[in-house]
Amino acid sequence: MRRLTRRQRTAAVVLAVVALLLATFDLGGSGLRSAHGGVRGMLGALYRGTDAVVGPVRSFVAGIPTAGTNSATIARLRSQVEHLQHDLAGRQADATAQARLRTLQLAADSGGYRIVPARVIAFGPGQGFEWTVTLDAGTQSGIRDGQTVTDGAALVGRVLHVDGATCTVLLAADPGSGVGARDVRTGDIGTVTGAGTDGFTYVPLDPKAAVRAGDAVTTGPAGATTFVPGLTIGTVSAVRTGADGIISATVTPAAAPTRLDLVGVILAGGYDQPRAALSPTPLAGSR
Amino acid sequence: MTRTRVVATVAAVLTALLLQATLVAPVVAPLAVSLPAVLVAAIALVDGPGTGISVGFAAGLTADLGSTHPAGVLALCWMGVGLVCGLARGVGPARPPLRRQVVLVAVVCSASASAATLLLALVGAGGAEAWSAATGWVPVAVGDGALALVLVPLVRAFLRSEALRAPVPVPRDLDVDRDREPAHA
Repeated sequence: MRRLTRRQRTAAVVLAVVALLLATFDLGGSGLRSAHGGVRGMLGALYRGTDAVVGPVRSFVAGIPTAGTNSATIARLRSQVEHLQHDLAGRQADATAQARLRTLQLAADSGGYRIVPARVIAFGPGQGFEWTVTLDAGTQSGIRDGQTVTDGAALVGRVLHVDGATCTVLLAADPGSGVGARDVRTGDIGTVTGAGTDGFTYVPLDPKAAVRAGDAVTTGPAGATTFVPGLTIGTVSAVRTGADGIISATVTPAAAPTRLDLVGVILAGGYDQPRAALSPTPLAGSR
Repeated sequence: MTRTRVVATVAAVLTALLLQATLVAPVVAPLAVSLPAVLVAAIALVDGPGTGISVGFAAGLTADLGSTHPAGVLALCWMGVGLVCGLARGVGPARPPLRRQVVLVAVVCSASASAATLLLALVGAGGAEAWSAATGWVPVAVGDGALALVLVPLVRAFLRSEALRAPVPVPRDLDVDRDREPAHA
């Protein structure tokens, strides 16, 4: 091995001692603080300049180890998020449908009739022409023309046309639709006609009837109307008396025609139905 | 050494220090891979122990003063790097294979990194932990080896280039120690 010359050996020893002395000095007190500060300041200025050039390179190099897995991770997380969001939306829809089904079951229990639950799959051709919705249940489920459609407690409309697996429902809000009705508070019988987005108009048969805002209006007496009696139509929100003395009241619908989702068709007769209908029993084991 | 050689060395060390702080250290974050130490080793492998000691001490002191730990630790360690690599120049054939030099640089530099970590842990400064000196040795050696793979040939080519060639005959030609005292080697 090549050996150190005498001068090199001396220099090495001296420098080592100097280094140790410096370390001791620095450790013991703040003697080298200004030297530290000066060099750090100089290097700091240089770092700043270098970093402007090297910074992008550094971030590039630092990203290399994860570059292959990043896109996969992002894709995985994204699909996970979508899945969870779908789950969440489905869960909310499930909760709504469950509440609706429970209401329908209650209606079946209290009314003593059978109800076929059905989902609104299409809305009518257009507002102002004819207010209809299409349900995903038809003759196979025992639905016939003229049967009453409810959302559980309130009147939705009546079946206008039935196909094998679908049916068209004329909403009670249709301006051409008329319903026999009864003011619950006074028992006055009258007619309710659809008024589109304004809800319904209730005209009592007795022109002197004491209709008040806040009165609940239900479908009329049994046998006197094609509708199942006792379904809530809405609440009187305003009463007018015409020039000829005829009273008419504006009724706010209990079932908003534009928010229909799961509704029930009340089977008025004993039809054969392959589709399981809700029977008047407790809703056991429902989710 | 000519003045050009000194200026080139100073510039190289300064560049290494800057690159270490802005590029190498952040990328290899917890490891003590050191570009300046590898540079010192590469220079010492070409120029011998004298240059190695002085360059190592100067670079180490600059790095020391630029950081928060007590000054002198890195100066001592990098001086050792320069010393060992300079002495190793005299061993083996006149133009040793690159692989052996890279391995040597990696081992020496990682050893100095561990020594520095131990020293700092000993004086309780810089947040150094003694066990990382042992666990980090192999990864640091790999990192230093990778740097050496680039730096050693580069430094050798630079210092032997026409513009930076020493004016006096290259020391190797006058290296009579080996012939004169083979028994003591």
